[in-house]
Amino acid sequence: MRPKALALGCAALATAVVLSGCGSDTAGGGKTKLTIGLFGNFGYAELLKEYASTHPDVEITDRTASYSDHHKNLAAHLATNSGAADIEAVDTGYVNQFKATPDKFVDLNTKGGTELKDRWLPWKWEGSLSKDGKQIGYGTDVGGLAICYRRDLLQNAGLPADRDQLAALWPTWQEFMAAGKKFQEKAPEGVKWFDGGPSVLNAIVGQASVGYYDKSDKIVVGENKEIKAGWDLVVDGVQAGLSSKLLYSTPVWNTGFKQGQFATVTCPAWQMAKIKDQAGPEAAGKWDVTSVPGGGGNWGGSYLTVPKAGKNVDKAVELAAWLTAPEQQAKVFKSSGLLPSIPKLYDDPSIVDYKNPYFNDAPIGKLFTDAAKKLNPQYQGPKAGDIQTAIGNAMQRVEQGKQNGEDSWRQFVGDVQK
Amino acid sequence: MTLIDRRVVDRAARRHRWDTRFAPYGYVAPYFLIFGVFGLFPLLYTIWVSLQERNLLDENAAHLVWLDNYTLLLADPYFWNAMGNTMSLWLLTTVPQILFALGIAALLNRKVRTRTLFRMGVILPNITSVAAVTIIFAQLFGRDFGLVNWVLELFGAGQIDWQAGTATSHVAIAVMVVWRWTGYHALIFLASMQAISPSLYEAATLDGASGWQQFWRITVPLLRPQIIFTTIIATTGNMRLLAEPLLFNPGAAAATGGSDRQFQTAALYLYEQGFTKYDFGYSSAIAVVLAIATIIVAGLGYLVTKRIQTE
Amino acid sequence: MTAVLERPAPVRPTGPAGKARRLARRVAGPWTYAALIAVLAGSAFPVYWSFVVSSQTPDAIDSVPPVLVPGGHLFENIARVFDTTDFALAMMNSIIVSSTVTVSVVLFSTLAGFAFAKMKFRGRNVLLLLIIATQAIPTELGIIPLYMMMSEFGWAGEIHAVIVPGLVTAFGVFFMRQYFERAIPDELLEAGRMDGCHSLRLFWHVALPAARPAAAVLGLFTFMQAWNDFFWPLVVLVPENPTVQTALSTLASGYTTDYTLVLTAATIGTVPVLAVFLLFGRQIVGGIMSGAVKG
Repeated sequence: MRPKALALGCAALATAVVLSGCGSDTAGGGKTKLTIGLFGNFGYAELLKEYASTHPDVEITDRTASYSDHHKNLAAHLATNSGAADIEAVDTGYVNQFKATPDKFVDLNTKGGTELKDRWLPWKWEGSLSKDGKQIGYGTDVGGLAICYRRDLLQNAGLPADRDQLAALWPTWQEFMAAGKKFQEKAPEGVKWFDGGPSVLNAIVGQASVGYYDKSDKIVVGENKEIKAGWDLVVDGVQAGLSSKLLYSTPVWNTGFKQGQFATVTCPAWQMAKIKDQAGPEAAGKWDVTSVPGGGGNWGGSYLTVPKAGKNVDKAVELAAWLTAPEQQAKVFKSSGLLPSIPKLYDDPSIVDYKNPYFNDAPIGKLFTDAAKKLNPQYQGPKAGDIQTAIGNAMQRVEQGKQNGEDSWRQFVGDVQK
Repeated sequence: MTLIDRRVVDRAARRHRWDTRFAPYGYVAPYFLIFGVFGLFPLLYTIWVSLQERNLLDENAAHLVWLDNYTLLLADPYFWNAMGNTMSLWLLTTVPQILFALGIAALLNRKVRTRTLFRMGVILPNITSVAAVTIIFAQLFGRDFGLVNWVLELFGAGQIDWQAGTATSHVAIAVMVVWRWTGYHALIFLASMQAISPSLYEAATLDGASGWQQFWRITVPLLRPQIIFTTIIATTGNMRLLAEPLLFNPGAAAATGGSDRQFQTAALYLYEQGFTKYDFGYSSAIAVVLAIATIIVAGLGYLVTKRIQTE
Repeated sequence: MTAVLERPAPVRPTGPAGKARRLARRVAGPWTYAALIAVLAGSAFPVYWSFVVSSQTPDAIDSVPPVLVPGGHLFENIARVFDTTDFALAMMNSIIVSSTVTVSVVLFSTLAGFAFAKMKFRGRNVLLLLIIATQAIPTELGIIPLYMMMSEFGWAGEIHAVIVPGLVTAFGVFFMRQYFERAIPDELLEAGRMDGCHSLRLFWHVALPAARPAAAVLGLFTFMQAWNDFFWPLVVLVPENPTVQTALSTLASGYTTDYTLVLTAATIGTVPVLAVFLLFGRQIVGGIMSGAVKG
């Protein structure tokens, strides 16, 4: 009798384990659990709450990691088909790497994407379209460029603090650097013209007609005269002492905002949310925004993808479509400054007339929609994100006085062509 | 003896035989089972992976390339750069560790009140987490607002960008390692010092040797096995020095150990290749080379120590 | 993941030792105390400073001159750590990992150590040699295949991927064996065997009680080491399901703008080992001095 009972017990236990294993993706009360993997600040906190309140059957958890950790881990999760969230954000710098393996993602074209297609800027839609026509992600924002600057610091150094005057002062990056040299003459100790070479350079790269790759995915940065000219210009600025030598998105850079160590910073639209976080309420009104030298350009901007290994892909697709819909992108723009990838919104008065109180009531609606219309889409290759990191290292070598501009450039080109 | 008695005895004897013959295997089995699967097998399998071109992101394309990874590796300037940094850090950590540890042990070897307090105090760094402590040190070594630079400026020194320079970054990392391990080695030295016969010192005192001379002529030579042991630990420890250089340089390029790889250690290079580029073949080759280097160093040290002890 | 060599035994006294030795030791003067206090201050400073920052407002971390005394914002900062990050999950994971690993290492090491020290079986010396040899090789170097295995099992990102490889250590077995060799006289076990005691009973009633001090030291070291383990968890876990150490690494990587938060988390993450250390410091010191080496 006893062995039998025991056997029964084991069997029952095993069944229970199996059952609980199957049920683990639905929360108590039959709720569907969705996770969304982000990096940086997408401005989604309020939206997710709103979605949950209108969709009581869904429970959403968001996870945020640093930019590089996020993409590095996502690559591993997709490769092993485990561990990815239901929705994963992907940055422009990495979208080409991921769209090379479209089978790891849900083809959004088969889930109603074809009907939504016309929402987005055509180049944004194509950015996440695989070679065989599968759509791996819905566009969130684009990284239209601007310059954020400290009014007080510029004024004290005898430069204009007015947006239009500044925009007129630096139509090109050469003139931007020239203004910097003037600023530096009267700047207080410890305050520099810009945050660091890598971020200025990224903006210049974003404006180039060809970036690190040509359209056949060949790395051409070594021969790219436009980028090399930008490199030389920034190196010149660094050597003239205009750089605070702080690498963007590092703890010391964050401190730099708080301490007011630099007067200007290149400002893709998504940067504004960061500045507000870092500089804090004390700096409200000190920062302002104006046009970027050199015309339209893009740095960053993201997509929401739905990995195929997820357990609730339909619900995830629904949420991704909702988060990237015009109404939601408009809300994110107002709350966090992320520039919509929806052209219809660029003429929407509620967007165009929007002024940001933190940035001294800068008319960022007008500024960024103008920038977005001028935007010159650039083809991103598979490892654009890694190359961006490498060029940042290269610029730091110059800033730290380890190498001159030429040697560092040569080492960078050699590194990325390996 | 009745039949029943004999059966009982027989069964007991059989059980005893079974117990002495097979039970020990049962006792050591859990260790060998788990270690075999999760320790030894991966180590050996590393060799197999190192003979392939294999990237996690494209597993289907994995194929055998035999020694190609090794030929690449031996010609890879970044690998040698990492090995060079490892060597430099080895020097910068081992020598001060031994000197400070000897000094602290000598202090603790005196008759000290509240000795448990002091002994605990010196190994406090050893029990704190590497991640936490590196984050703290990175802050202390900050360029613009770091405490270390602030103190140096009080003495008139200029601001140092610790992460930027090769020498300065090595010094900063070495400080973290030395801080963590000195007390631990001091206690090992102390244990040995306490076992040295006082008659040796008495004789030396009669011969007119000063305390300083006694320390270098008696204590240190007698501690030689422990000193060699410390050296080996420091060496093998350096071969896997990862957390300090990684966390010393936060940001997208953390795994390169500085803008010019100026403080990328061998283990960090392994990490960069394996877990940021997912180049498993190449990174396994690095692991194998590191393992061989470690075994050679440890083996040499072991032989030397044995020799000294038997002398 | 321990990997250490057999430590050389301390030099044994060659002449008459004992009481004479105690008398011969120099009494510490004021300079000795001054030097020791300086060492103590140096040891404690980074931990202390991290505590200071955790108890201040965010401005303190980069103020010039630096702030060196604690403020009154500790609990506020702790609350912010738990509100804005999932540090509670990290603590929970670290507690589960460290306790499981500790119990398992102590249990299996005691069992195997007992067998190696007090039982005769074929292949014993070869197996023991294997254990000693594997101590010298850093098992971290097998992380690539280990990672491949874990993703094959579907464990990548889960804490069992951290627990399972840590369940046994070569060092633990070796350490317990050394202890049993010295601490339990063979006669005692022989007498037990004569009485027909099964070896498991001998282990349970004789060996285990005798091994308690050594097992405690092993347990302490294993716990602290498991708590502080960094490389493998960093590789196999994901930022969403971290241990304390990997959570710290994520926090420090730059997406949090508030560094006071990072240092507060570092302080909180140190508290459990610090508590163990303060409670059992004497045993830990004794363990290191008697040869309980960890690498």
